[in-house]
Parts: sequence; C-alpha cells; structure tokens
Amino acid sequence: MTEQGQTAGADQLAIDMRAITKVWPGVVANDHVNFSVRKGEIHALVGENGAGKTTLMNILYGLIKPTSGEIAINGKIAQIHSPRDAIGLGIGMVHQHFMLIPVMTVGENITLGYEPVTRGDFYDKASARQKIEELTHRYGLTLDPDARTGDLPVGLQQRVEIVKTLYRGADILILDEPTAVLRPQETDELFGVLRGLVQGGKTIIFITHKLREVMAISDRITVMRRGHVVGHLVTSETNEQEIARMMVGRDVLLRVEKTEAKTGSVALKVDHLVAESDRGVPALRDVSFEVRQGEILGVAGVEGNGQSELVEVLAGTRSATSGRVLLGDRDITNLGARSIRGAGVSHIPEDRRGAGLVLNYSVADNLVLGRQRSERFTWRGIVLRLRAILNWAKRLIQAFDIRTPSPEAAARTLSGGNQQKIIIAREMSSEPRVLLAAQPTRGVDIGAIEFIHRRIVEQRDAGAAVLLVSAELDEIRSLADRIAVMYEGQIVSIEPSGTSEERLGLLMTGGGREERAAG
Amino acid sequence: MDLIGQLLHLFVSGDFWQLALRNAALLSLPALGGVICERSGVVNIAMEGMMLTGAFFAVVAAQAWHNAFLAVLVAAIAGGLMALIHAVVSIRFHADQIISGIAINIGAIGLTTFLNAKISNFQGLPQVDLSARLPQVNVPLLSNIPFFGEVFFQQNIMVYVAIAALVLGNIMLFRTRLGLRVRAVGEHPQAADTAGVNVYRLRYGAVIVSGLLSGLSGAFLSIGIAYIFNDNMTGGRGYIALAAMIFGKWTPWGAFGACVIFGLGDALGASSGALSVPLYFLQMAPYILVLIVLAGLVGRSTPPAADGVPYTPEAE
Amino acid sequence: MTAPTAPPQQREDAVRPDIAGWVRRAAKAMAVPIGSVIFAFLVGGVIFAISGSDPVLAYQAMACGGFGLFCFGGETPALQVANTIFFLTPLIAAGLSVAFAFRAGLFNIGVQGQLIVGAILATIVGIRLGNWPGIVLIPLVLLAGIIGGAVWAGIAGVLKAMTGAHEVVTTIMLNYVAYNLLKFLVVNGPMQAPNSSAISLPVSQNAQLPTFIPANSTFFGQPGGVYHVDWGLLIALAGAVLFFFIMRRTALGYEIRAVGQSQRAARYAGVSVRRTIIVTMLISGAFAGLTGALMISGGSLHYLYSDLANDSTGFDGIAVALLGLNSAIGVVLASILFGALHAGGSVMQSDAHISGRIVQILQAVILFSLAANFLRTLKLRLPGPGRKVAEPSGEEAVQDEFQAEVSSAATDIDGKA
Repeated sequence: MTEQGQTAGADQLAIDMRAITKVWPGVVANDHVNFSVRKGEIHALVGENGAGKTTLMNILYGLIKPTSGEIAINGKIAQIHSPRDAIGLGIGMVHQHFMLIPVMTVGENITLGYEPVTRGDFYDKASARQKIEELTHRYGLTLDPDARTGDLPVGLQQRVEIVKTLYRGADILILDEPTAVLRPQETDELFGVLRGLVQGGKTIIFITHKLREVMAISDRITVMRRGHVVGHLVTSETNEQEIARMMVGRDVLLRVEKTEAKTGSVALKVDHLVAESDRGVPALRDVSFEVRQGEILGVAGVEGNGQSELVEVLAGTRSATSGRVLLGDRDITNLGARSIRGAGVSHIPEDRRGAGLVLNYSVADNLVLGRQRSERFTWRGIVLRLRAILNWAKRLIQAFDIRTPSPEAAARTLSGGNQQKIIIAREMSSEPRVLLAAQPTRGVDIGAIEFIHRRIVEQRDAGAAVLLVSAELDEIRSLADRIAVMYEGQIVSIEPSGTSEERLGLLMTGGGREERAAG
Repeated sequence: MDLIGQLLHLFVSGDFWQLALRNAALLSLPALGGVICERSGVVNIAMEGMMLTGAFFAVVAAQAWHNAFLAVLVAAIAGGLMALIHAVVSIRFHADQIISGIAINIGAIGLTTFLNAKISNFQGLPQVDLSARLPQVNVPLLSNIPFFGEVFFQQNIMVYVAIAALVLGNIMLFRTRLGLRVRAVGEHPQAADTAGVNVYRLRYGAVIVSGLLSGLSGAFLSIGIAYIFNDNMTGGRGYIALAAMIFGKWTPWGAFGACVIFGLGDALGASSGALSVPLYFLQMAPYILVLIVLAGLVGRSTPPAADGVPYTPEAE
Repeated sequence: MTAPTAPPQQREDAVRPDIAGWVRRAAKAMAVPIGSVIFAFLVGGVIFAISGSDPVLAYQAMACGGFGLFCFGGETPALQVANTIFFLTPLIAAGLSVAFAFRAGLFNIGVQGQLIVGAILATIVGIRLGNWPGIVLIPLVLLAGIIGGAVWAGIAGVLKAMTGAHEVVTTIMLNYVAYNLLKFLVVNGPMQAPNSSAISLPVSQNAQLPTFIPANSTFFGQPGGVYHVDWGLLIALAGAVLFFFIMRRTALGYEIRAVGQSQRAARYAGVSVRRTIIVTMLISGAFAGLTGALMISGGSLHYLYSDLANDSTGFDGIAVALLGLNSAIGVVLASILFGALHAGGSVMQSDAHISGRIVQILQAVILFSLAANFLRTLKLRLPGPGRKVAEPSGEEAVQDEFQAEVSSAATDIDGKA
C-alpha cells in the first residue's frame, strides 16, 4: 500500500471526514479538509496554533457544525449534531482544558450525563463504582471513584477524562494536546495507557504540535496548516524535520543574527527566592542566579515548573515568601509592580490578553499601561497629559510597525501579533535596565516572531539584562547567551549557549544532575 | 437585666416561637428557590419581585373564585411567569443577570401597583374573605403536646408545605440524577454540555422553579398571613431570602437555618412592645448580621463556580 | 529593518480630531438605548390598551407632564417643565453615582441607602448650624451629605476589597439598615419634629438652595413658590462635569476603568485593585450622598420623612446609568427622560386617571432591553469608509466571537473603556 495518499478500503476506515469546511465571520478555520483514520491505529493530527486541528475535531465531536462537508463513521455517513450524537457513534473526546467538575467525585464526573439510577431518579453510586472498576481493570488504569476530582494530580485527572470516554462506549478516542499539562513520567504513563487501549481494539486520534511525541507514539500523521491539510505521512517513514517543514512551510531554523554578548556588571541578582503558586503549593524553592548587563539569560523548562511564578515575583505581581531580588545594589524584593517598573524593570507578560493589555482601551492608552502615573504622562500624578500620551503612541506605532488604523483604535481590533507588538513597544521603549520577557512570541505569526527576536537582541546590545522565559526550546537556543534550566521550582543548571537539545531536554525532565555544569 | 428578663419571657412562650417558625417558613420558600436557581448557575436577586407578584395575584384570584388553593396555584404560576422573563433574558439573551433581577423587582412593583389601582379604581383591594384564606392546620394528637405542639403542629398549611419543599429540594439536589446535573451545570456548564447534558433546559427549569416557590411564598403572605394586598407589601423579604441563601452556603437546610435566625429577628420586632428596645434597631439586626457574616467573621461563602456567567458554547 | 509603515496620508487622519467618526460611533452607541426606550413605550402602549385605557390619551398626558406639550387639562406648561427639572436634578446625581461604580465593574445598588444617610447628615447640619449664613452653610450641608454617602458606600467598598464580599448583597443590606435608621430617627424618634408624625424639622432657610424663580413673584400665571427649580440643577450638572473629568482626564480614572475592564491587567500595571475598589465606592457614595443633600437643601420638602425609604431615586439611578451607558453626558440625557416620565406619570394619574406606576413598568422594560443588548454593544466596531480594521487571527477570532467578555458595563459611548 502506498502511503502518501489514502488508499485504504472504506470499511477499514474508522473515521472518514470529507471536504470539511468551517467558515466563521472573517476566518476560514477549515478549508475542504479530508481526514481519515484507520481502525486500530494511533493517528497524529499535527499543526501549529491556529492550524484548525481543534476545530476539525470539535466538528467530529459535534460541538461545532461544519459549514459543508460530510463525515462517515465505520463506513456509514453520520449526522453529528451534538456531543450526544458523537458519543452514540462511539466517539469520545478528551479536551485540552479538562471538562471536569472539581468539586464532584471521580465517579460523578465519569458518569455525568449517563448516570445509573435506581428507584426513580436516585443516583446509583454503587452501580457507578462497579462499572468504573470494571473499566479501569480492563485497561490497566487505576482510579478511586470516590475521590474529589479537584484534589487529584493532573495526570490522574486526565485519566478520569479517558475513563469517561470509555464509560460511554467510546471506540474512537480524540485526545487534544494531552501532554501539554503532563510531566515526562506522566507522558510515558499516558503512552502506555494508549498502547493498551489500542490493543483492546480502540482507535486513537492524537492532536499535538510536539513532534517528538508524534514520532514516539503514532502510526500515521496528518499535517495541517492554516485550515488546510498539507500532507499525510507514515511515521515509520518520516522524521521530525519533514513534519516540521510541512507544518510551517519552510525550514524552521529560527536563527537570529547576533554578535557575541558584551556583558557588564551584574544588573539583576536573585538570591534564594522562595514563593508559592496560586494554589498555595511551593512554586519556587530556593532559586538563585544573576543576569549581567548586555546578556540574555534564557530560562528553559516544561511549563509549570515555576517559570511563571519566577517572572511574576521579579515583576512585582507576586510576593516572595523569602529571598531577595537585587537590582544593582538596590533591594527590590516585594516592592510592588509600580515601583519595580519605575526602577527600570520592564515586563512582557506571558498572558497578553489577560494581563498585558486592556483590550477595550485604545492602542495609545495601552502604550502607557503601567506608567500611567509617571510624570511624563501625568501632571503631578493626577491629571493625564493627553497630548504627551498621543505623541508617545504615534512614535511607538511607527518605530515598532504596529498595524493599526489609528492610535485611538481599540486594542481588541488588532491581530494577535500586533497586540503583542504593543506590549513589546511599550516595555522596550522605556529603556529598561532589566527586561523580563515571558513567552514573548506565543501565538504570534512567523513574521512578527522574527521582528520580536531582533528587538530583544537589540535591547541586549543596548546594555539591558534580559531574562527570556520560553517553552520553545528553539527560541531559547537561538537567543540566549546562557541557558538556565528550571525543574520543579529550582534552577538545576546553567548551561552555555551552544548546549545540545538532548542535554537540555534531559535537564528539563530532572535528569543529568551528576553532570551539571558549574553555575 | 430587665431586658434579659423580658427576653427570657419571650423565649419560653410558645406563641413567640410559633411566630418565628412561621416567619422562617415564609422566607424559606424563596430562599430554596434561590438555592436551586443559583446552583444551576443563574443569579437570582428577583425573589422580591416574584414574591410580590405572587402575593398580588393570589389576592385577585381569591377575590374572584373564593378558593384559597386555586389562588395559591395562580400565585405560583404568576411567580413562574416573572421568572420565565428573567430566564429568557438571562439565558437566551445572555443579559446581565443582576440587572435583569433588578428590572424584575422594579417591574413587579410597577405592575402590581398599576393593576391594583386599575382593578380597584385606586381604592385598594378589599380584605380577603374567610373562605379564601389559607387555613391553619392543627395536626391531630401532636398539636396537643405542650409548647412543641403549639410551635410545630399548629401552623398555617403553607408552613408544612415549606418544610416539605425543603425536604424534597434537598433530596433532589443531592441524591438524584437531576440534582447532580443541575449542580454540574452550575459548576462547569461546558463540562456538562460536552457530557451531553442540556444546559439550557436545566437552567430554564431551575429559574422557573424558583419563581414558583417565590410565588407560593407571596400567596402565603397575602392570603395566609396579612389577608390583604398592600402596595409593595413584601417589604424587602425577598432580599432577606437572598441573604439567607448566601448565609446558608447555597444549601437548602443551610438557608433554612438562616431563615430561622431572620424569622426570630422578625418575631422579636413584632414583640418589641414587650421589650424596651427600639423596634427599628431590632429590625436592623438581621441585615447587620449578614454583613458580619459576609465580612468573613463566620467563614467565607463561595457560590457555585459558574454562577452568573451566561453559557456560550463553542468557546474553543 | 522594519517594514514600511502606513502611508503618511493615513497617519494624518489620525492626527486631526475625528468629529465625523465620533458622531458616527456615538450614534451607533446610542442606537441601543434609544431602541430600548422606543420598545418600552410600545410595550407601555400595549399594556394601556389591554387594561382598557387609551394609550394616546395616556401618552399625551405624559408628554404634558414631562415637557409641557399637548396639555389639555389646564396645566401650565412652564410648571410642567419645572416639575421635570425638579425630578431630574437628584436623578443626575444618583445616576452618576451608579455609573461611577459601574465603570470599575462594581454594582452599587445601595444608592438609596447612601442617599438617606447623606440626607440625614445634611439635615442635622442644616438644623444645628441653621444660623450660619447661607454662603457657608449650604456648602457645609452638601459636604455633610457627601460625607454621609461616601462613608455608607465605603463600608461596602472595604468589605469587598478586604473580604471579597459581593457588593450587591452588602449594599442591599446597608440599604435596609439605612431605612431602619431613618425610621428610628424620625418615627417617634430623636429627630421627629414636635407635633408631627414621621417627619423631621426642616432645615433652616439659610440651608436651602436658592430657587430661580422668587417665591413672591408670578410666573406664567402661577405663584413663584410653586416652581421648584433651584441651584441644585447647576450643582448636579457640575457633578457631571466632575465625573467626566475624573474618569477621562485623571490617572485615577484611567486606573478605575482598567480595574473595571481587567483586574489582571490592572495589577500588572501596578494598580492596587483593593485600593481602587475602596476609592471608587467612596466617590460613588459621595455622589449618592450629594443626591440626598440636594433633596434636602433643594427640592420642595427640606426635611426628612420616613417615606424616603420608599423613594425610588436610588433605583431610578440604576436605570439612568445604564441607559446613559455609564457616561456623564448619557446620564444627563437619561435623567431628562426619566424626570419627564416621573412628571408625566403624575399628570397621567390626575388627568387620564391611570396609575403613575406604569412608569416603573416602562423602566423595567428599558432595563431588560439594555441588559439583553449589552454584549451586542461590544460589537459596534464597524470600520468607517476608507479604513481597514486589522483582522484578528484564526483562533483568537474564534475566542473573541465565542467568549463573552463581561466588560460591557464599563465601556462608554465610544464603545471604549
């Protein structure tokens, strides 16, 4: 059988989606997509953010109606108008953001919508427990039906989601970015579970943009880009480079031109910092490092190992429970965001829509966010200097090429890349001594990414100390002069710029301690 | 010291506690309605308006048909219809639920006063005659027990209805499949939707039930206690029921406990002649109590997670 | 290095003040409130018809009472206009109070209670210092009212900031505490006037705001004392100007609006959300207290009365704020409408023999339509001719479309925050 096309017989296809198109006002999320999955295989659906993979699967699961196209399940045309229809056809979906109710028990979450009842409408807890135990034994999972779902670790919560689909008789499971929230051991456990499910006769669709996992677990691959299918591959006959090229449309080597760093004195010193996450769990356990003027210190690590909290503490939006942060000689620990900003620390937040911008404010108003009380924009900290703000805005719009019809347009009308540029422009133009950049190019298109990278290097060359936190290893390796790896709230090592991906990956997952490079 | 003596006299009188329980029952119907409604994720501050509407239409129906039970039915339906407006505006049109609630309260005053003037030609509706009043029920045998008999077993029929509603409501919410789904919808409507539960239908149902219960309470007030309709006669009781619901942490019996406290306050107010404390300070007490509780001095109160957020599917 | 920017011509457009654009956006923003009002009048007409009254007659009576038009019962048009002004003056202040809090994302339902506390303090000052000259006394009376309202609202603000207690519940509770406080003082209580029932002594003449039409003159055939148009109107309008200034021209207003839009962004910007909530409630309460002071120092009664607890000004303020899209100018316009409705309602009652309470029904319908339309006002971002609005990218467009942002209450007539 040739594998660059779809020649399998129709009856071997668990799922056959033909010419699926979904149009929303102003945007075509899926454009005549053909997607098919064979029974008993693990099929990876791959693409960048915004490629349309989740939309396609939401259509399959009945959450969204396609504008046109048809779907055949096990050879028969199917009308899927709601999740209930999809469930009836044996399709189950595990979403990226769990659809679990934290205050309810595992059993209640699993059986929701298909609850066993006795004596009228009374919820039959015993029967639910029995059925769940049957399933968990059969597929080699373990779950306590009476545990409070919100108390479980993420990996187990995901298992609840999986058992939920099995409980409803799913033969086809769709997993949307399942490993985004898992630690490496949990990912391995998940893969074990998936293999067990396939052995038990299930079919699995796996949405991801992590190529390493695609190579590890899948049988076949469909690549999407901007709403189109751009290729079908057989895993055993391809490699990460080829997949990546299909995903992005060109070779993905984000190498920014940069000269050697000319470092100066220590600009930012972090000393035994300890802090908690929102849930009260320790997020930073004794973090210490330095960043010098004129260098970029990259912070690599799987999301959720304390990087977010580190940036928040440095920026002043989270309190440290102990430890110190020094800006030059000055102790700025827990001083509050306004003072820290005033001292010369700029912050590009990882959540641009939630924290970095007020979407209903104009572009101009957003360009002074955080500095609204400074003497430059406000008379005696009371009355706004509107003309000064407008002139400032016009300068920045031009310098940073922010595409907007006017400075008064509301920020929410701009594209994601331009919204990010507002933040970049604002934070960089204050000539910071320290620049904290957290996921600066997340969700931004390629053109803007290059622009932003160049600006970060510019800041470095102008003498700023840059702390770059990113979940994209490529970005770190291309920009950073030194790389700090965070794992479980600590810096496990600080590596030099050319360090290999393998070594970094190892450190990021908690290994390699014996060979840790010195400070 | 004198005050303590007076209070003790009250506290050992069956009359006083009978009154307190009656007041509590009056409040607990809309409070239960509020619990159910908010558990499904719809904020309801319109109990006041729904109660007032029920009170008015109960009197009108009582006057027309001289039958208390028909009047109660009419009142419940009236409350349910007001609730339906709130439901449609909030669920279908994603309106802000607090504003909608306020609109219902304002509209109810306007509607009932307007119709009252219209029907009675600005004279005010006459008193409800005996045949149309909700009767007191004395449970045989049990009502003869000293003290407890008077308090628990010689009450207006609506008190027993209220208690029954509480029992049923509690069972429904926490032991049945329906209740499980209602609570799921209030905590995480998207999870419920993807699990195949009809979010909209459950919310509509919950809101309408809260209207039915508030309407019942209004009927209790107008044809079971006051035997007349006066403009704006609910006088803020709907808001007290709202406070009771929050106090009781969105559970039926918790809300009832709060209603008992408020009912006590009301009874104290009615007996203020027997106490040398100004009436109005007593009447203030329940509200101040709520403030103290809300200030966290008695523990935090968290509503269902998705309370007040209109559900829009396809959020991915 | 950078791609070429927009051609110079387009940037010049951005420099000139865009009056045409403003008018267009304002018209779009007003479409919803105006539509709500028209809808409400239609519903009112239906209610009139169903209940056997003549809609035309009813609305004619309302127009007469509101604006002095089409009067048929022998009323003096000038007097009707004066009545409208009488009603709308406290409404402006009440509406500003509610609108100010809304901009920060706070529901101040307690305006009536704050108004009452303000009125109580104003009355006390107006009686106790009754001998002082008006030029000093009147500002003191107003100040007393402002402080009273600010403190009352401040309680709710502190509770919310420190414990997260929802301001809807706390302000409602505080309302009822205020009602009972008023009754305690005035119903056989320490402030009850001798030989009277449930009212207080009036404040002294010096504490009363001067009226525009002197009492002992004749104006349009009516004795001057019948017209209750006083300087309170100007004070209320000054309040509206102050509102605008604070909201749009000060750093505080910038921060308040930011908190109302996104607390996370506000925190990121170094704003103390707690402090802002408290300050907002204090200012909102100040406007409410001013309302109470205006009702004592101005208006017609000049004394406290127990039925003030049933007065509807505080709740009317909510409708006025929402109808006015929480902006200063909008509140003024909406107050004119509601003032006219009030005045019209009483003429309707006396001439057309229809209960004036229909006004409340209209109000409710307006509120419903506004509440239901809120999310749609967010979408009034249509590009003008010759301008292209950048298209948000794929997944974010999806998110924009389908995630309801409840920031609509804090946007003004431009659709901006």
